[in-house]
Amino acid sequence: MEKTDCTALTMDVYSRWRRPPQPVGCRRMRTSSSFQWLLLSFTLLYLMHQVNSQKKGTPHDLKCTTNNLKVWDCSWKPPSGAGHDAVYEVCIKNRSRSCNQLEETNTKILALSPGDHEITVRRLHDPRSSMSKFILNEKNISLIPDTPEILNLSADFPTSTLHLKWNDKGSRFPHHSNVIWEIKILRKKSMELVKLVTHNTTLNGEDTVHHWSWTSDMPLECAPHYVRIRCYIDDLHFSGRKEWSDWSPVKNMSWSPGSRTKVFPQDKVILVGSNITFCCVTQEQVVSAQIGNKMCPLIHLDGKNVAISIHNISASASSGTNVIFTTETDIVGAVIFAGYPPDIPQNLNCETRDLKEIICTWDPGRSTELVGPRSTDYSLYESFSGKNVKFKRVEDSINESYQLFFHMIPDQEIYNFTLNAYNPIGRSESTILVNITKKVYPRTPTSFKVKDTNSTAVTLSWHLPGNFAKINLLCQIEITKTNSMEELNVTIKGVENSVYLVTVGKLSPYTTYIFRVRCSTETFWKWSKWSNGKQHLTTEAIPSKGPDTWREWSSDGKNLIIYWKPLPINEANGKILSYNISCSSDEETQSLSEIPDPQHKAEIQLSKNDYIISVVAKNSVGLSPPSKIASMEIPNDDLKIEQTVGIRNGIFLTWNYDPNMTCDYVIKWCNSSRSEPCLMDWKKVPSNSTEALIESDQFQPGVRYHFFLYGCRNQGYQLLRSIIGYIEELAPIVAPNFTVEDTSADSILVKWQDIPVEELRGFLRGYLFYFEKGERGTSKMRDLESGRSDIKVKNITDLSQKTLRIADLQGKTSYHLVLRAYTDGGVGPEKSMFVVTKENSVGLIIAILIPVAVAVIVGVVTSILCYRKREWIKETFYPDIPNPENCKALQFQKSVCEGNRTLKTLEMNPCTPNSVEVLETQSAVPKIEDTEIISPVAECPEESSDAEPENHVVVSYCPPIIEEEITNPVVDEAGGTSQVIYIDIQSMYQPQAKPEDDQENDSVGGAGYKPQMHLSIPPTVEDITAEDDFDKTAGYRPQANVNTWNLVSPDSPRSTDSNSEIVSFGSPCSINSRQFLIPPKDEDSPKSTGGGWSFTNLFQNKPND
Amino acid sequence: MESGQESDHEPSPHYREAGKALESDQEQHLSPATPTSSQGWGPRPPGPEVEFGGSSLCLLTLLLPPLGRAAPISPAELISQAYSLALYMQKNTSTLLQTYLLHQGSPFSDPGFSAPELQLSSLPPAAVSFKIWHALEDGERLGRAQGAFLALTQHLQLVGDDQMDLNPGSPILLAQLGDARLRAQGLLGNMAAIMTALGLPIPPEEDTLGLVPFGASAFERKCRGYIVTREYGHWTDRAVRDLALLKAKYPV
Repeated sequence: MEKTDCTALTMDVYSRWRRPPQPVGCRRMRTSSSFQWLLLSFTLLYLMHQVNSQKKGTPHDLKCTTNNLKVWDCSWKPPSGAGHDAVYEVCIKNRSRSCNQLEETNTKILALSPGDHEITVRRLHDPRSSMSKFILNEKNISLIPDTPEILNLSADFPTSTLHLKWNDKGSRFPHHSNVIWEIKILRKKSMELVKLVTHNTTLNGEDTVHHWSWTSDMPLECAPHYVRIRCYIDDLHFSGRKEWSDWSPVKNMSWSPGSRTKVFPQDKVILVGSNITFCCVTQEQVVSAQIGNKMCPLIHLDGKNVAISIHNISASASSGTNVIFTTETDIVGAVIFAGYPPDIPQNLNCETRDLKEIICTWDPGRSTELVGPRSTDYSLYESFSGKNVKFKRVEDSINESYQLFFHMIPDQEIYNFTLNAYNPIGRSESTILVNITKKVYPRTPTSFKVKDTNSTAVTLSWHLPGNFAKINLLCQIEITKTNSMEELNVTIKGVENSVYLVTVGKLSPYTTYIFRVRCSTETFWKWSKWSNGKQHLTTEAIPSKGPDTWREWSSDGKNLIIYWKPLPINEANGKILSYNISCSSDEETQSLSEIPDPQHKAEIQLSKNDYIISVVAKNSVGLSPPSKIASMEIPNDDLKIEQTVGIRNGIFLTWNYDPNMTCDYVIKWCNSSRSEPCLMDWKKVPSNSTEALIESDQFQPGVRYHFFLYGCRNQGYQLLRSIIGYIEELAPIVAPNFTVEDTSADSILVKWQDIPVEELRGFLRGYLFYFEKGERGTSKMRDLESGRSDIKVKNITDLSQKTLRIADLQGKTSYHLVLRAYTDGGVGPEKSMFVVTKENSVGLIIAILIPVAVAVIVGVVTSILCYRKREWIKETFYPDIPNPENCKALQFQKSVCEGNRTLKTLEMNPCTPNSVEVLETQSAVPKIEDTEIISPVAECPEESSDAEPENHVVVSYCPPIIEEEITNPVVDEAGGTSQVIYIDIQSMYQPQAKPEDDQENDSVGGAGYKPQMHLSIPPTVEDITAEDDFDKTAGYRPQANVNTWNLVSPDSPRSTDSNSEIVSFGSPCSINSRQFLIPPKDEDSPKSTGGGWSFTNLFQNKPND
Repeated sequence: MESGQESDHEPSPHYREAGKALESDQEQHLSPATPTSSQGWGPRPPGPEVEFGGSSLCLLTLLLPPLGRAAPISPAELISQAYSLALYMQKNTSTLLQTYLLHQGSPFSDPGFSAPELQLSSLPPAAVSFKIWHALEDGERLGRAQGAFLALTQHLQLVGDDQMDLNPGSPILLAQLGDARLRAQGLLGNMAAIMTALGLPIPPEEDTLGLVPFGASAFERKCRGYIVTREYGHWTDRAVRDLALLKAKYPV
């Protein structure tokens, strides 16, 4: 913040110089405005002058003034022509001896009373002269004080202060009156007005010397200063005109510079933000001036002296702000320290630690930015005692603590402190009124000791320095035990520098405590710091209770095992050394003594059941009261084992109130997997309660515990309830072990075993059985829970069920079986198995037998049907007389046949008839192969069938008509006319089940001729008798299909051309040949062919049926 | 420590020895009250402040031998020792001047501040024409240097006191001024030993400061301090030259 504005200041100074002309201008304005009035008054004056000039022969123009109100100084103008030696007589009317003769034109007369007074002035010894008469009134008198005289003008250069001294000469004035002094300060040789001040005083009838001081903004060394003074007496009793006195002679104050260049002021400490002027008194030309590194414009003073003005100075660094003037040959300068006056000391607080010395502390507040000799000094003043303490600064300390020590004054409690802070810029103060007895902050107690009083009380002692004899101390004792802390307040009568003792009671025996203490006063101000903690172990006491005891009979019932629990530390009251046990009945007493401490179990062989056992614990101080327990167990027949599951960390048991139970209830528990007698722990519950929450750190989830609730009666304990339970159920840890007992083709019998209790980890709630088809390695029974449809699940909740039959399975199929057990804690792991069901032999047999049987039955039925309908069949398929309609060879002439039946046969005439000889066979029935060679006539419509039997003997053979080829182009294409199909005689008789047969038949049929191969079928039912005959006649089949008549050598092998659509029976031989007319097997062939053909034809011709 | 011994110019073997001596001394009496610099006043010469404490102890040891030892040391050794010390002092003079100026506020603390026109009548100026200087006899030359350092020790004490008022919160500056004074005293002792060894008359110790203007203004004190620290540097430079010349005349 080096922004110290020199420029603004110079402007200010400059404007001050320029200011005087302004009022002149204003006056001029006013003058011109009253010009007319002036003109008028001049005219008036002129007229008066004319009048006066007529009076010039007499003394005229009497004027009176006064400078002290006591004497009037009157003067007049002598008449014209009067010499210097003229004598005047002045007479005041109405006054005795009122005429004075004098040789001057003025006279002093004593002040006249108010009112008009007639005064005559007459020139003596002048006959021409006439007497002038004046009326004199106080109102016409001017009060013009004497010019004041400056007694002394002195200067205090370091502070740039002028001290002015003058005398008001008040003794001259008759009465008190106000005086206004006007003091004019002029600077530089050119006497520039710097300051014009008025100063009011009163005249008190005595000569009084007045002082007036003025501090210059510019160091007095910089330029000569001049002072003038005048006064104005404002007397209220004086009714005349009051005027200012003349200005006193100038008094000047100048500093005689040496030859050396100097800068003023030096080392000045000023308030931050204030303005200051520096000047350089020099004989050399000043080149530049700067504050810090900022150049400042020069203000020229007398000679070569210059000044700079610094405006709004900022805070200085510790070594001050440098102001430097550079002359042509030298550097001169000054340092200024700009800072702040001391802040009001904050948080002034006075307290005492020992009532001997008062410590006052404070916070200095805002920094003054001044260091070293310029830093703030503090002094502490106590007004009642008038004592003063000064603050000694420790320069080097970094964390300066502001505190002062004040020695207490005996018997003084109230102190009124004033803390004064002062530095070169200013001062401040802060006060505090304290009752020091209420501001005691004791020192930390020392020599803190603990001594045993007894097992439950200790005596604490500590030393506290200080003169506390007149006050009470309030001390706080902190008693810390494991897990607990207690604070105890005690009030102690204070003493001087002594040890304080306090007994603390109600402690627990044999317990480690940590004590510490701090103190304050009863009129609390502050706690002292805590003393050092002292750890102390209180002494032992006898155990307060006997141990918690339980007993169990050994499994053989002969020994009684006595258990007891170690006493808790608050009941043991010391280190338990041993236990004493005694078992007493009416007759005898057995005792075991001095069982050392870590042992908490003893076994005694007892002959009877009814004993009272008492257990006593012993420590170094003594024996505990005995704890007693009856040995007898009262049987309870009505006992069921119940189940329970824990809540959070414990098992909650409730039972009904039983008034018979007089002493208490005992719940004992053990891990159920342990052998009897087992005992983990027990808990005693008062007899009036009906519930207990059993909690133990030993409880683990998934472990089965057995709880026994005993009720206590006079004689002994009775087992009331037996409960097994889990603190938390878990899922079984193993899977049930299962085996497949039996498999059949459609079912599997599975049997499993119980899971051991240890591995069950909860109450078993059931089993889950999953099965699906699948083989080892391929089964995907991974996510059993997802409920896949192909996995079947059986939930077995009947825990007594140990087997399961899975039915409705498929034979000889691999099944994947999985069994899991579950508890409320979850489902256990799975055990899986793959089983293959047995093969279903009956089914297989049935599967074979049924088709066979069906086939047989069908065959039989067909046979029967065929047999029954043989006539029909024969008629349909193998009529004795072929139905001409079926003669396909003649179909192309059908219309013709239909139109003229008679002519049909006649038309065959053009063919050359061949005579067929019928060879006689051995059978009675002649072979009528010829009938097979159906004549065109025989092929005619069925209407003529009646005539068939008659006509069949002689058949004329009609050779195929060539034109037939044209009507059947299909045949043409396939076979071609040149094709020759050879069919040997064997193939002719082979039953052809090929589909081609039908085609062949169709095509053959289409060709007009159908070979009649069913030779054995009698044409009518009536002809059954002739059946044999027909059979024998089936030796020859005329090869009627002209298309297939090909020239084949008889020796050619059988040729069955698969490509040939036309399989025809035919002989390559000429129809004249007789080679085939004798069938190779007369007996067999008809039969076999009859079976093969029967079906197809039957179906084909069904409509004809 | 080591960096304090490393300099840009090749030190002479003698200096190297002395440097080692300094180093060992510092190791033995490593001063716990070594001032530490926390302000960043630009680049500093390699010698850290740690040297000040150690060096002042070292200077005392350098000062003592001629007075205490029975066995006379040859003038060449003394000259060499004094030369080493002067060289060592030379390294720290600019630091002292910079530190000093930095604490006096602007324009003193402005970079490049220099006011050669400021002189102290009580302090002989170090500037001398080479011709005159070279023509001086050894005794005269040493005598002048001794007189100057005598004045400097007194002035440095004065400046230290002045700064206690002006900069009470700047222990670094005060410590550096104190160290400079001790070094000047050390060199003074060395020179006296040389003059004794060479059989030259020792000028009487006089109060060069004379009547101290205790009423000096803060500005005058600042300027005085500036001149003293500046002249301390100049005189140290001159002493190095003096001793180098002498060293050439009295080779080891």
